[in-house]
Amino acid sequence: MSKPSDLVQGTLDLLLLKILALEPRNGWAISQRLKQISGDVLHVSDGSLYPALHKLEQEGWITAEWKPSENNRRAKFYSLTRLGRGHLEQEAANWSRLSSAISQVVQLEEA
Amino acid sequence: MRPQHWLYTIPLRLRSLLRRRQVEQELNEELEFHLQQKIEEGIVHGLSPKEAHYAAMRAMDGLELRKEEMRDMRRIRWLTDFFDDARYAVRTLRRTSGLTAFVVITLALGIGMTSGTFSIVDALIFRPYPVPHPSGVLTLASTTHDSNLDGFSYREYLDIREKTTSYDGVIANGDMQAVSFSGEPGATPRVRGGMMVSGNYFHVLGVEPRLGRGFREDEDQVPGRDAVVVLGPDFWQHEFASDPAVLGRTVRLNGREFTVIGVAPETFSGMLVFGHPDFYLPLAMARVFSTNFQKNFFEDRDDRELSVRARLKPGTTLEQAQNELAVLAKNFEREYPKVNHSRGAAVYTQFEARTREDLNWKFGVIFVILALAVLLVACTNVAGLLLSRARARTREIAVRLAIGAGRFRLIRLLLTESLMLASSGGLVGVAIGYGVVEWFQSFQNVIFMTDLPFSIPFRMDKRALLASLALSALSALLCGLAPALESTRLDLVNALKSADVDVPGRKRLWGRNVLVVAQVSASLMLLTASFLMVRGFQNTLREGTSFTKDHLLMVSFDPRLVQYNAAQTQQFYKLLAERVREAPGVESEALTQNIPLGTDDFDSIAFVPEGLEMPRDRENFNSTMDTVDEGYFATMGIPILHGRGFLASDTADAPRVAVVNEQFAKHYWPGGDAVGKHIRLESSAGTLVEILGVAQTIKYQSIFQRPIDFVYVPLAQHPIARMTLMLRSSGDPLQLVPSVRDVVRGLDPNLPMLHSMAYEDFYRNQAVNGPRIAMKLVGSMGVVGLLLAIAGLYGLVAYNVSRRTREIGIRIALGAASSDVLRLVMGKGLALVGMGTVIGLAMGFGLEQLMNSMLFNAGGVDIVAYVIVVPSLFLVTVLAAYLPARRATRIAPTQALRYE
Repeated sequence: MSKPSDLVQGTLDLLLLKILALEPRNGWAISQRLKQISGDVLHVSDGSLYPALHKLEQEGWITAEWKPSENNRRAKFYSLTRLGRGHLEQEAANWSRLSSAISQVVQLEEA
Repeated sequence: MRPQHWLYTIPLRLRSLLRRRQVEQELNEELEFHLQQKIEEGIVHGLSPKEAHYAAMRAMDGLELRKEEMRDMRRIRWLTDFFDDARYAVRTLRRTSGLTAFVVITLALGIGMTSGTFSIVDALIFRPYPVPHPSGVLTLASTTHDSNLDGFSYREYLDIREKTTSYDGVIANGDMQAVSFSGEPGATPRVRGGMMVSGNYFHVLGVEPRLGRGFREDEDQVPGRDAVVVLGPDFWQHEFASDPAVLGRTVRLNGREFTVIGVAPETFSGMLVFGHPDFYLPLAMARVFSTNFQKNFFEDRDDRELSVRARLKPGTTLEQAQNELAVLAKNFEREYPKVNHSRGAAVYTQFEARTREDLNWKFGVIFVILALAVLLVACTNVAGLLLSRARARTREIAVRLAIGAGRFRLIRLLLTESLMLASSGGLVGVAIGYGVVEWFQSFQNVIFMTDLPFSIPFRMDKRALLASLALSALSALLCGLAPALESTRLDLVNALKSADVDVPGRKRLWGRNVLVVAQVSASLMLLTASFLMVRGFQNTLREGTSFTKDHLLMVSFDPRLVQYNAAQTQQFYKLLAERVREAPGVESEALTQNIPLGTDDFDSIAFVPEGLEMPRDRENFNSTMDTVDEGYFATMGIPILHGRGFLASDTADAPRVAVVNEQFAKHYWPGGDAVGKHIRLESSAGTLVEILGVAQTIKYQSIFQRPIDFVYVPLAQHPIARMTLMLRSSGDPLQLVPSVRDVVRGLDPNLPMLHSMAYEDFYRNQAVNGPRIAMKLVGSMGVVGLLLAIAGLYGLVAYNVSRRTREIGIRIALGAASSDVLRLVMGKGLALVGMGTVIGLAMGFGLEQLMNSMLFNAGGVDIVAYVIVVPSLFLVTVLAAYLPARRATRIAPTQALRYE
């Protein structure tokens, strides 16, 4: 396993929202999916995951529902709200602007 | 947050608040699920179940702290904390229910009395006028040397209205007075209270009539032309059952027909403090109710009956208005030197006007001060108790501090407790305050024995409730802060070692010492003040009240109600007196304009004593006066000390005469005899009046009045419309009523007899019971304060001493004699009480001076009060210190050392 990179809180929100945009999931499934999609680069610690999810819920961007999971255990499934979708688009746009700006600087030819 | 946000978040917040346990449980469940999944994953990767379990737990450590974080996120932290604290506080308080009940009752008494008395002061001074923008309504008054709140005359009012620019409207009104009213033609007229007002009255005040309209400007222009009337809301309800068809109806006022044109709204009960007029009429109709035979209301500039108010124009300051009016007054002085000599004018705010109008507010202030003293005693009591209790919880507090509670958090916890106590106390206190107000209200009929719609305005309204709320919060802070601060300042190690730590450091005991001193001084002040008031009242009651009160019937008449003129009135009274003297059972008869201690205003007389040189700035002196007939002094049992009273020969054609009282004689002719001297009326060129006799000084206007100058003039020489007949009876005075009625009916069947009653009843209710109610209130406050002080003082001092049991045991074990130890322990207590006594005496002395200057002549310092009160408190403290100390010395030293 490669060393997990540090994730800034804001970007964690963005990632969580995007994952939930694809499909409603519970907390455990979210962290698994994130690991999977990012090719094991992005790990989120349990200590950060749940507070982040909690905050997203308090802000009204995601909503939760208790459902049985695949192995029939009761779990809390989160899904994106309409408000959250709007916030996601906004954050995604911000991120691409930010990242392209950073790339531009980093790719400058050194003298 | 944007509105859409709220749709999602508010249900969440509510749920976090109301379903806390469930929310917590869900979080645990969620984390549990995550843990299980992690364990399974570990197993899949080849770990044994145990290893997987450990790995998972380790990965998820620190979650407790995270949970705290998440709780914070729910953003209702302060609220949930508060609920937690409150629940905990209730549990703790319930455990010591006796103590709690005592504390709550103590606080309730203090808060209740303060808010109750506050409602009195509020009604007398602060309550705003029942009109829109009440702060803009100012009172204008005419001023002289002797009086700073005189009314204006009609002409003066008109001048003020025309010639000033500072106001948006200037209104005037007369006093509320008796008017005979009949709603149906042919119905017997009854006496109700009417008030004449200027045409712009309702408009300027901003009062919108409930029905119909107010007066128009043109309805107040021509004297006697527009007989229109506006009804008061209560009167409309009682008299006409709120019937809207009352508009346009004709009613008879003082025999004259009036048309009802409107009804005032319920929100407007009038601008008076005590009472609400039944109806309003235009000033132009004043002749129907002319109050004075001597003067022409519309013409005479010195017939000053009108109260004038005005709305300040926006942009104008009070000072500008005052200057303008002062200049106008100077102009009056110049243009009308005879009637406006040395008369100024002033503009007052509501507060200034109210405090000059009626001296009852001074009583109110004294009550409030005393009630606050009770509250202070109560609070110090409670603070002491809370402090003692905090001591007992030292270990609990130490543990909390040790596991990480912030000091502030703990203080919040303890304050919540005192808040619980204070709010319960406040609730009960509101009930007590309500009781105090109701108690006052119950005396409405006793104090206002008239036919007019007077009422007591004290109410536990919004403002009084707000005051109670503020007091509760203040008490909570006062009682709880010191104990909370002190008990959280702990040396943790020592505190955890033993349950009850008491290291006597100097700073540690400071709080409790202050409490003892505060309690002693507050209760001492309370006691001496109430003692003084009660004794002062008793003294005052004895002075100047030796005139006849028993076997006296009094009946009032007002021939204006049937439109008599001066000559008819004089004739009526002459015949009345003659005929009534012949009636069976009548020993003697008298007629007087004002009865002693009556509620009507007394006239005043302006005069120049003969042979005295007037100071340059004054044209004359003033004195209160009464108009009486020749039977007055004998019937009322007022001795004539020198000279004689009036005789039938002192008629209108005879030389003018007067009788003065002893105070007057001593004032103007000290050392000499006033009999045979003369005074001139109005000025040094006025009518000559000879002084026939000097009467004993009695109480005239109020039982609390200092001795004042007084002049009597004979009815025959000074016609007055409204007079009261006093009949001395051999038996029960009320038995004379039928005979009087027969006589009156023989003279004029339409003339009503007003307020027939035995003077004794009137005197008892009016002059004695009224003030006695006030005294009872003060006395009860004193007693309550005393009881609280004794209980609190005993508890506090005894507790202090019992804290030192261990120390006492050690000292005795080391060989100290019991007496030495006792002296040591009690010495401290006595020193504190001594300090408190000095402070309390000083405050009590100050309060006494205040009361003397405001109310009665208690004649210097009353030693008896101090002689009784101070030793009592001392005794209590000595006992409180002695008993526990003695017990402590009796315990075997080994046991004392073991004491925890």
